Amino acid sequence: MKQLEFSEFYEANRDVCLRAVLAGVGDRQLAEDLVAEAFTRAWTSWHVVRRHPAPRAWVVRTAFNTRVSWWRRRRREVAIDVVPDTPEVAPGDRGPDTGLDPDLLAALRGLPERQREVIAFRVFLDLDTKATAAALGIAPGTVTAHLARAVATLRGHFVSTDNLEVRP
Amino acid sequence: MSLHSMNDDTTEAEQVLGALRQSMDGVTMDTPVERIAAAGRARSRRQRLAKVSVVAAAAAGLALGVSSYGNPATAPPAAGNSTGAGSVHIHTAAFSVDTKTDGTVHVSWDKAKYFSDHAGLQAALAKAGLPVIIKVGEFCLGPGDDASLDHGQGPGVTQVMKGERQSNGRVDLVFTPSAMPAGKQLFIGYLNAAQLAASGGRPGSVERLVPTGVTLNCTTQAPTHD
Repeated sequence: MKQLEFSEFYEANRDVCLRAVLAGVGDRQLAEDLVAEAFTRAWTSWHVVRRHPAPRAWVVRTAFNTRVSWWRRRRREVAIDVVPDTPEVAPGDRGPDTGLDPDLLAALRGLPERQREVIAFRVFLDLDTKATAAALGIAPGTVTAHLARAVATLRGHFVSTDNLEVRP
Repeated sequence: MSLHSMNDDTTEAEQVLGALRQSMDGVTMDTPVERIAAAGRARSRRQRLAKVSVVAAAAAGLALGVSSYGNPATAPPAAGNSTGAGSVHIHTAAFSVDTKTDGTVHVSWDKAKYFSDHAGLQAALAKAGLPVIIKVGEFCLGPGDDASLDHGQGPGVTQVMKGERQSNGRVDLVFTPSAMPAGKQLFIGYLNAAQLAASGGRPGSVERLVPTGVTLNCTTQAPTHD
């Protein structure tokens, strides 16, 4: 029963969660690793996640939290890596950012972290302002302000200054 | 601000966010659900075993745990760990060594502590059937050995050991003692702090297959940045 429920949840939400996390971290491979880790945690805590009011927001929030813990761990490890050069992408495999506009990823990475998280929840998970505020633990007005600032920054990437036409 | 310009702003914001959303339409998660579920099951097992180990160690009053997980006669081996003669399951503060039913030896490091007990690790690996020499700041070769390195590894090393990235981001080492050529042993030379500073951590260590029963030629000259 657990396997079936979880499989359905995963199949229905994995892509949208990946896009949300990608918007938050701006790195394709890291996003996939984080989402896989978050879904693994969802599997081990399925009895909690299945009753969560916004389970896919739980996954994305967990992915963002995991990123912070990985980053802290890496800082402690400094340059000491037992197998520092183990290839993470096998020859012939798809590159980490294939199919994505590198300028767009750079633009996303240029946004402050909180703005990227607001985009992840508001735009990609389609949560409303109140739910986004609850997921991020901030005020609804702050969500609105972060989104407006993010739009202002990204406008230059998507919109031609001459005619305000969205790029194809 | 006029109502007209406010509407323009809203429309433009919708355009920007819509384009952003659309730009990622092709992004899909390739990881199959089976892999996620398998990782989840393995983690649950590890957590259960860790609880058992903690309780057992506490009961025995041991700071250093050396344990074998027995299985009831009717039950399959748990978590893929091997049992019986030759099985090694050693868990210390710095590392853990577990022999598996497929003949591999899995080593997990606490990298923050990995300088603390090389002798212990060397003994544990030898006990698990993998002869190994571990040094810090010294790099050894057998007489006439090929000195070339590829990302810190000498010829043939990848058959014997490989890094395995865990779902939590940690890299564990998996050794295959059966793949060790006759008359050879594994040499692991970790760069010391000064050498790491010079190499930038690439490589952070040197691994080679070196001959047994001969005097090795060692140098403190670390490999250059690769």
